[in-house]
Amino acid sequence: MEPDIAGVDGSIPGFLTIPTELVKSVSEVPGRGSSFTAMTPLWSAIPPGKDSNEYMQIVDETIGANFQFNIVDGNDYNQRLQAVLASPRNVPDFVTVQSSGMPARFDDAVAANFQDLTPYLAGDAIEKYPNLAALPTAMWSSCVFNGALYALPYASDTIGNTVFYRRDILDDLGIDPNPTSAEDFLDLLKELTGGGRWAVNDLANGGAINTIFGRPPQWVERDGKLLHAVETEEYRAAMEFQAEVFAAGVVHPDSVAGNVQQGRQRFISGEVLITGDGVGGWLSTLRAARPANPDFDMYPLPLFETVKEPVIYRGTPANLFTFLKTTDDEDRIEEQLALANYFAAPFGTEENALLDYGVEGIHHERGEGNIFEFNEKGERETVRTYTWISRSERVAAEVQYDGYVEGITEWMASVMPVAEEPLFYGRTLVVPTEFSSLNAPFADLEADIARGRRNMDDLDRQIENWRESGGERMREFFAEALEEER
Amino acid sequence: MTGIQHEPVTSTDTEAGGSNQRRVRKIPFMARLRRDKSMLLMALPMVLLFGIFAYVPMLGNVVAWKDYSPYTGIIESPWVGWANFERVVGDPAFWSATRNTLAITAFQLVFYFPVPIALALVLNTILSKRIKMTIQAITYLPHFFSWVIVVAIFQQILGGAGLLNAFLRSNGFEPVEIMTNPDTFILLLTSQSVWRDAGWGMIVFLAALSTVDTEQYEAAAVDGASAMRRMWHITLPALKPVIILLLILRLGDSLSVGFEQLILQREAVGAGAAEVLDTFVYYTGVVYGDWSYGAAAGLIKGVVGLILVLGANKIAHAFGEAGVYQK
Repeated sequence: MEPDIAGVDGSIPGFLTIPTELVKSVSEVPGRGSSFTAMTPLWSAIPPGKDSNEYMQIVDETIGANFQFNIVDGNDYNQRLQAVLASPRNVPDFVTVQSSGMPARFDDAVAANFQDLTPYLAGDAIEKYPNLAALPTAMWSSCVFNGALYALPYASDTIGNTVFYRRDILDDLGIDPNPTSAEDFLDLLKELTGGGRWAVNDLANGGAINTIFGRPPQWVERDGKLLHAVETEEYRAAMEFQAEVFAAGVVHPDSVAGNVQQGRQRFISGEVLITGDGVGGWLSTLRAARPANPDFDMYPLPLFETVKEPVIYRGTPANLFTFLKTTDDEDRIEEQLALANYFAAPFGTEENALLDYGVEGIHHERGEGNIFEFNEKGERETVRTYTWISRSERVAAEVQYDGYVEGITEWMASVMPVAEEPLFYGRTLVVPTEFSSLNAPFADLEADIARGRRNMDDLDRQIENWRESGGERMREFFAEALEEER
Repeated sequence: MTGIQHEPVTSTDTEAGGSNQRRVRKIPFMARLRRDKSMLLMALPMVLLFGIFAYVPMLGNVVAWKDYSPYTGIIESPWVGWANFERVVGDPAFWSATRNTLAITAFQLVFYFPVPIALALVLNTILSKRIKMTIQAITYLPHFFSWVIVVAIFQQILGGAGLLNAFLRSNGFEPVEIMTNPDTFILLLTSQSVWRDAGWGMIVFLAALSTVDTEQYEAAAVDGASAMRRMWHITLPALKPVIILLLILRLGDSLSVGFEQLILQREAVGAGAAEVLDTFVYYTGVVYGDWSYGAAAGLIKGVVGLILVLGANKIAHAFGEAGVYQK
């Protein structure tokens, strides 16, 4: 199928119409009636359990498997994961891991807990799973751990994070947010705050502050030398700015108090007008907000010059991975992969429609232009579960949310010219154990600097401390890795 | 329960051969077993519970001397001697957590510990049973709220976007920073503890007070003792053993100042004020995956705690009190 809006330089394409007749991409029932456990994240309301969830019952029946999901709040996911992985016997059959949340000693964990999929998927073997084979090579190459293919990729949105503003409210206020500098942006935040309304959630959430200042993820090469993100001027400027933002009193007090979980809700209710989020959050926020407020509208804040010209670092090709628990039972692995192949069915297929929207008449109705319109039951039950395990490459086709498809395709195409691939793009490098807790003190420090409890001198001391207690060695490690790559 | 199943002590002397060598022990082991079997049977579930959930897991502390990775297992992980302990002792973050812990304990000993006692004394003077029961119910119910709820309630009322500050803002005053101020955090913690647990803590003191013979008060009153004197000479001596027992338990626990309550508010005030030993162990061990390091820190905490309990118990003995245990 040809998209109505073509992608530009890797930006996601869009469909403005939904085909009346959906095609079948998987001819056989993929499952053989086995039971599987799966641990997956969720950034919205947890759906009812399987006993009272017809969506899961129907999908299970259709795919010929019995899934038991352990759905964990996405904000707490990484901490929970650490404990789950430490108990190999209790590791679920499918485990989803965020590329940004790999716990310490993760390469050990992979080797001990998870199945090497190389023999099943490398080379021609993958042809057995056409929907998986359709995923781009860059995604698969990021699934290599310890030199072997260990994971199934979850197609990312090309750009990882952005900063959203409430377009409907700002329009009402007659404000067109187009800041030209950090100072200008701060003035805007001050203007938006008042009367029980705050301009922003903590800009550390959803990586907003990094997006604004174009902070590179992890490592960057400058003047022939590797610099860690915390050593860059972008990071420094971002930290100084955070302190100014908090001091100006424009951050929602609950967010100041560290409440991340309710951040999206504050944005939906209009208590907060600007928030950082993943690009994928655009869709889930619309889905959560529109039923109660049809006028709800959001859009990414335009980039502006801070310490450097605007830049966006591309997100990893797969921003989540799903691992399979290790087993000697080859049939079981093949069954799991066949199921993953089913979950990766592309837009326009029956499988994809079932997974995303449930069953017509039960979870959704087909509206004008064939669009999928959730009913109340569909809203509640049909949330992302199976498709964390794998999904097809991203296309925007959620026409039911007025303006979304046009918005995301247009916005992403507009930022692709300033999108850069970060170092090690398409590779997943696991930080060696000896460095695994090296960056940990920065999390507390960043929160403290923002809230004025510590200052930039503390940051300098911490960076010095970081260099001495392993940072320099870590730099060498990554420099070597980079050398090998070239 | 009646005592009739106890065998007469004298009859045991003549039982079984070889009793001469065992003369020091008046009652042979088997006989005592038979005599106490119902007691032992009743204790068995708790012993099993402690065995399985407290003592067996304690063996896992061995990882403090290893470079433990959960993926290679306890046995396969290499020994590293005292290296983890050296790292813990050399870590300023550990000492900062220790300082916070001790500060919170000391503060709560002065400002939290006496509250239930005072509450019990006040309540004890109220004669109306109905009022007494009502106050008691109101003050002890918050104990059944989890910390998540307690902190959320405080946040809703005193937080930056809460009731108080919304009121202040709408009336043109500056909002006050209560939930996010690290300097006054210890006050906040203690008031939360008082609100949640003081009523519950009072129950044990009230129970102790109920054993005091009211005739003593009457007699004292007849002798012309004022209310203060009656409290000083009758009520407080009756409470003394309980107070000392609880004080010892509290001292032994002084390195544990609550985990949930602190972890829930750690973000709000920062690690500088809210990191205590328990959260330190959790973050270093579980969150950052440095299990051995966390275990070593936890073990240091445990050993110090044990010393504190034993020491406090000795002091209690010196004062002629029963303490937690007797020889």
